[in-house]
Amino acid sequence: MSKPSHESHESHQSPDTHGHGAAVVDHTHHPHVCAWQTFVGIYAALLFLTFVTVGVAEPVSGLHLGSMSMVVAMLVAALKASLVMTVFMHLKWDTAINNIAFLGSLIFLSLLFLFTLVDHSTRGEADPQAGTPAPYARQAKFVDD
Amino acid sequence: MTTHTPAIETAPSATRKEPSYLDVTKGFWSWAGTLDHKRIGIMYLVGVTAAFLCGGLLALLIRLHLWTPEGMLFENGVYNQVFTLHGVFMVFLFIIPAIPASIGNFVLPLMLGAPDVALPRLNLASFYLWLVGSILTVYSIITGAVDTGWTFYTPYSIETQTSVLSMGLAIFVLGFSSIFTGLNFIVTIHKMRARGQGWFKMPLFCWAIYATSVLQVLATPVLGVTVLLLAFEHIYNIGIFDPAYGGDPILFQHFFWFYSHPAVYIMILPAMGVISEVVSVHSRKPLFGYKLIAFSSISIAVISFLVWGHHMYTSGQSEFVMMAFSFLTMLVAIPTAIKVFSWVATIWGGSVALSAPMLYAISFIIIFTIGGLTGVFLGALSVDIHLHDTYFVVAHFHAVMMGSTALAFFAGIHHWWPKMFGVMYDERLAKISAVLILIGFNVTFLPQFKMGSLGMPRRYATYVEQFQIYHQVSTVGAMILGVGFALMLGYLLHSLVAGRRARANEWGGVTLDWHTPTPPNLYNFDDEPVMAGKLYDYTELDISPTGEATFKAHKSTATVGSKA
Amino acid sequence: MSGHATIVTPTPEGFRPHAVAHHFKTAEQEFQAGKLGFWLFLATEIMLFGGLFAAYFLYHGVYAETFRVGGSTLNWHLGAFNTVLLLTSSWTMAMAVRASQLSNRKALIGFLSLTWLCAAGFMVVKYFEYTYKFSHGIGPGYFFAPEGHYAELFAGLPFPNLYFALYFTMTGIHGLHVLVGMGLIAWLIVRSSKGHFHSGFYTPVELVGLYWHVVDLIWIFLFPLLYLVP
Ligand SMILES: [Cu+2]
Repeated sequence: MSKPSHESHESHQSPDTHGHGAAVVDHTHHPHVCAWQTFVGIYAALLFLTFVTVGVAEPVSGLHLGSMSMVVAMLVAALKASLVMTVFMHLKWDTAINNIAFLGSLIFLSLLFLFTLVDHSTRGEADPQAGTPAPYARQAKFVDD
Repeated sequence: MTTHTPAIETAPSATRKEPSYLDVTKGFWSWAGTLDHKRIGIMYLVGVTAAFLCGGLLALLIRLHLWTPEGMLFENGVYNQVFTLHGVFMVFLFIIPAIPASIGNFVLPLMLGAPDVALPRLNLASFYLWLVGSILTVYSIITGAVDTGWTFYTPYSIETQTSVLSMGLAIFVLGFSSIFTGLNFIVTIHKMRARGQGWFKMPLFCWAIYATSVLQVLATPVLGVTVLLLAFEHIYNIGIFDPAYGGDPILFQHFFWFYSHPAVYIMILPAMGVISEVVSVHSRKPLFGYKLIAFSSISIAVISFLVWGHHMYTSGQSEFVMMAFSFLTMLVAIPTAIKVFSWVATIWGGSVALSAPMLYAISFIIIFTIGGLTGVFLGALSVDIHLHDTYFVVAHFHAVMMGSTALAFFAGIHHWWPKMFGVMYDERLAKISAVLILIGFNVTFLPQFKMGSLGMPRRYATYVEQFQIYHQVSTVGAMILGVGFALMLGYLLHSLVAGRRARANEWGGVTLDWHTPTPPNLYNFDDEPVMAGKLYDYTELDISPTGEATFKAHKSTATVGSKA
Repeated sequence: MSGHATIVTPTPEGFRPHAVAHHFKTAEQEFQAGKLGFWLFLATEIMLFGGLFAAYFLYHGVYAETFRVGGSTLNWHLGAFNTVLLLTSSWTMAMAVRASQLSNRKALIGFLSLTWLCAAGFMVVKYFEYTYKFSHGIGPGYFFAPEGHYAELFAGLPFPNLYFALYFTMTGIHGLHVLVGMGLIAWLIVRSSKGHFHSGFYTPVELVGLYWHVVDLIWIFLFPLLYLVP
């Protein structure tokens, strides 16, 4: 299952089989079947982590985590997501290229996050005198003060 | 639509086992509903050529308007619409699909020894999405056009009363057309290669298409969500890009250029792939530095996600980010220069045939070098502050998009024309038009570099008198370009009805695409090809005194007909 | 390269045989090609939603207090309930794929139907959340004109419209994906009942399953960000 197909020609059919009508049965594909207990276990873990997400949230528990609350919330969500991806979506048993195709998008997405967020957090800092923060930021500060 | 077959008899020759893909079925619906990658490629070819003609006509009108300082043809507002439409036509309808979706569609499966792309129905869907996007674009023109420039910067694109909404929808649809093409090609390259064809036995065109496809798949969705949000701004002032509602217009630019910088490589990478093939075949030499070219395609694709901020040096983004973007932009020059040196080294000492495709390829190398070097100027933060939004920028990106991508597209068309249609155009006229286009391009754009550096801003309907001479020379150049393209269209169409029959292997290529019958069968090859020998091994050809290239028996790259 | 014999996949008793498309050499090649294509499509979904998440993080940083107050107006009980619904549907979907691999038609139809019901439940909850907000003048962009205690709550806060612009856009596009998923699952149920899916051919079940898990993945992040605003 984890081999690229074009390199494994296990079919019972050979390329010179000419002529129409005759059907050849091809046994090249072997599904990877997970035990149902695995799925139930992951499901239970996901429910538990949802409980954690809610439990550590300030509006629910009154916990004051400050700026850490975002980090905690995203870490728990990432853990849940990785359980779904590895087991429910079979990535653990899937080909390398399928893993790269999907997880690679996260790397490129992180670049979008990185530059836009760093831009925002450092805008106008190099030369505060001449720096012109975006109008919306100025308005926001005005209201906050 | 060129649904007709050439008048010159292409009836199966003595050696032809099956009818060609052009002859196998007939009629409108056999094309409109086809799943054959070659016919879909031809339909794309017709479509993007039509878009190129529309965009080109608009370009001529722009140049004509600028003959006098006060502008000859349009009201200022109309001028804004004309250059916007020129940009939209050329970028979204022509250049982005041009090489991958037309030439790539036709040639890629042939080069991989495959009977079709991996997902033929998705391929046809991609074409129809392109068609819907084009119709929406035309609809936007009828309902008031767009005057924002092809970049749709907010907040002006929110305030304007022109048809930004339908144009945004058009771009959303065109984006998915592009995504589906790219996705299909990635799967095709991974799963459909011929037996014995490892990754490093793929022609370089395939590597270029692969890198392009990665960009199409990863960058285009961000454009999709950007135009979607822009549409929401128009429908109900969602405010995400609108400072009046607390939004940040620079975020729009981040999103837009996160796509549109990689889009520049969606345009140029396949062009580089075409040039690699053309240079090799017409110099009859294996490419110098095969692996370097292959890896440079991939590294260009990756670096292109790290440099988009160089379009925003005067937008008010953070200075620290700008420095990072400027540094990263310089890195692009390395893999790009590797390619140029490799092509030149390939030509060096080769038995160079100055055929029409080769003339286009040489023009490409010349103009691409100009475009690439001026790109380094613009990537440098301090220099760009001076040159930003001037004609220098206009000339730079036309050198890359028009002078390079479009010329490579034409090099490819001339190179694979005999394979596509089984006929040859008048090569003498083709050479004349190639030279006209090279001259025309430089006459048009060299003055623009000059006046840009003197401070002539882009997108202005009028200008001060001291720039008139540059504008007039530039307009004359555009006319020369127009004549060159008109001539090309003429002899190419003429060849379809009265061209001589193409030879089986017109140029003496050795990659798998030249192992198909000319034109190819419905499923391309007579027998399943197996890649036994080396890539680009020109010793496997016998060249007759009349120039006819045939594969030596038992020594060909592809053991055609082998029963594995 | 014409004249290949038809290739079919092994078919258990009582199911419809699947013919491999002519341009593939093997069933495995066809399966893997479809799957890689679909993974790439899912990558585009991630990039598309990613843009929205980038906008969220950016404005969350600028208008932290506004976002906190905005999030407090959502009912996190309903959000948590919907999270459980989607997680359950993800589990039933995984079980449905497994049932198709084992050629267990009854279990396949059963699990697909459960998945569909969870999705429908999700949309019903979403419907009530949306209509409640709209009836109090809370909508995206132009429709944002808070009334009653909402007007007091947002008084003096900068740009509360932005939080709701993101809330409605993100959950709206996500909800659209749920609806598309419901259509696809319904299509799978019809085809399953005709015996189209079995150990030799279950590609559509597998692919729709992957799609459904991505819909779940996105919600896993949306729930804490929108309802609990960290
Ligand atoms: Cu750029």
